[in-house]
Amino acid sequence: MASVSTVTQQAPASAPLVGRHDVNRKRLARMGWAFAAPALIFVAGVTVFPILYSILMSLRNVTVSGSGFTMTGITGSNYSAVLGNSTWRYALAFTVIYTVITVFVELVLGTLIALVLERLTAGRGWMMALLLLPWSMITVINAELWGYIYEATYGVLQAMFQAVGLGHPNVLGTSTPAIASMMVADIWKTTPFVAIIVLAGLVMLPGDVYEAAEMDGSSGWSTFWRITVPLLRPTLALAVMFRVLQAFGLFDLPYVLTGGGPGTATTSLAVLGYDAMFKNLDFGGGAAVATSTALLVLLGCLLSLRTFRVQVGKEN
Amino acid sequence: MRNRKRTGWHRYFNGVSLSTFLVVLFIGLPLYWMIISSFKSPVNLTVDPPQYFPHPLSVSNYKYAFVTYDFGIYFRNSLIITVIATGLVLVMGTLAGYALGRLPMRGKFTLLVVLLMISVFPEIALIAPLYLLLRHLDWLNSYQALIIPYAAFNLPFAIWILRNYMLGIPKEMEETGRIDGASPLRTVWSIILPQALPGIFTAGIFCFTACWTEFLMALTFNISNNFRTIPVGISQFGTPDITPYATIFSAAVVATVPIGILVFIFRKFVISGLTSGAVKG
Repeated sequence: MASVSTVTQQAPASAPLVGRHDVNRKRLARMGWAFAAPALIFVAGVTVFPILYSILMSLRNVTVSGSGFTMTGITGSNYSAVLGNSTWRYALAFTVIYTVITVFVELVLGTLIALVLERLTAGRGWMMALLLLPWSMITVINAELWGYIYEATYGVLQAMFQAVGLGHPNVLGTSTPAIASMMVADIWKTTPFVAIIVLAGLVMLPGDVYEAAEMDGSSGWSTFWRITVPLLRPTLALAVMFRVLQAFGLFDLPYVLTGGGPGTATTSLAVLGYDAMFKNLDFGGGAAVATSTALLVLLGCLLSLRTFRVQVGKEN
Repeated sequence: MRNRKRTGWHRYFNGVSLSTFLVVLFIGLPLYWMIISSFKSPVNLTVDPPQYFPHPLSVSNYKYAFVTYDFGIYFRNSLIITVIATGLVLVMGTLAGYALGRLPMRGKFTLLVVLLMISVFPEIALIAPLYLLLRHLDWLNSYQALIIPYAAFNLPFAIWILRNYMLGIPKEMEETGRIDGASPLRTVWSIILPQALPGIFTAGIFCFTACWTEFLMALTFNISNNFRTIPVGISQFGTPDITPYATIFSAAVVATVPIGILVFIFRKFVISGLTSGAVKG
């Protein structure tokens, strides 16, 4: 319910400029469409139509040759080939588990960092600047950096393991450590993003609720769970939604850091779709992987539509 | 509790400062590692145990990046593509954000939800049709091959941010313009635009960062050496057997500096974009 109230607060500001006459209102609406048209047509042309085309492609036999490609017939074979393939099922499971674990860890760590920074009196601006660095970093560079850290013969991680007598492990060479290592690289880059969102949410919380809680003798821990967390819920929901949808498209990190390996251990749905299309030139199969990924994301969007609605506000 | 006066060393060594220190280490150590590694000579880069404080310092890697590898070309390509795409997004986004934020259009709500969904849609779903389309137009390996998709993919989020800023502008201001008989475009230009400037900065920095870091489309559409962007260029450094980390990290430092400076200067707007723009809606 807290989320709904944020919407109603916005209502006066978002009220359209109602003219005194209907004519004026119609004129303004026409102007609105004229202003919005270039952007809307552009976005639709470059995103919506390709989405539809991709769906069509996934339902046909696509043959790629040097001069072009041909599509014939209507077929469900791309989907049955994909869904019946254990590689696809593994990639789906990997992507889901990866998303759940990284987003959960990022949320916990990000909230902890935000709670620390909220109490910080001096140097908060500098901390923000530091937090923004991993966020603005090119993911390919992040992958190369962690690749160097994890390197099996001269990487700093194996040197540390060696120093405490644990041998020198090749973390990217075995499935489970490779997955965990990739999660660490991802968590390092994206936790700051979550921390900033949560910090902003914390700063906006009303102070008087906390005073009341303190007067009632509420301990820090129970104040956190009974007041901070419920009030922060819209903020946390937004951060989680963005991160989940982003993590689901995971591509850059496995492509550069592990190449999807060892074996297919870190092959995400996006890597699988990319390899199908551009390594094996199986555009129909690749489109089926891509479309099924998109459908899952769309399902996620619909499930979190409430969060979307809160963002947009209720109008009209 | 929080206002309790602390004396002596307790003022400096408490839970908050200790935790802050840990956060700085967590974020700073990998960054430190990247920067010092870019100054290690290739021989010292692969010693075990690694050098924690490089000696001697070498700048030869920076030379390799630009001379042996064509990092200069990649940097130029990234800059051209990012700047033009961001410009397109800001022009179209400001107009659309104004319309969706302040004008009485029907179906506005649905449009905004659809735009939001597009902005989180996975790129992989669009790669194949866009690739085939670009190939048909003979536009693979060109600037427009990335400028157009980048602009289209970043427009929805930019519209969303700008619309939120537009909501906060007092409506009396534009009514004044209308009474004075100014044309609609003129009203936007001279009355709305100055007011919406923080929103434009915010949308601009987000779009810039997204274009600067994008990898999947750049890898698919522009693989020829003359049109590679920084992420693709760096990912193709070296051979399948040898990864020239020193060169990669010098290129990485050069690629991170401009975006780092930009984000530092505009950090207020980045944070407000992540917060008021996104959360308050």
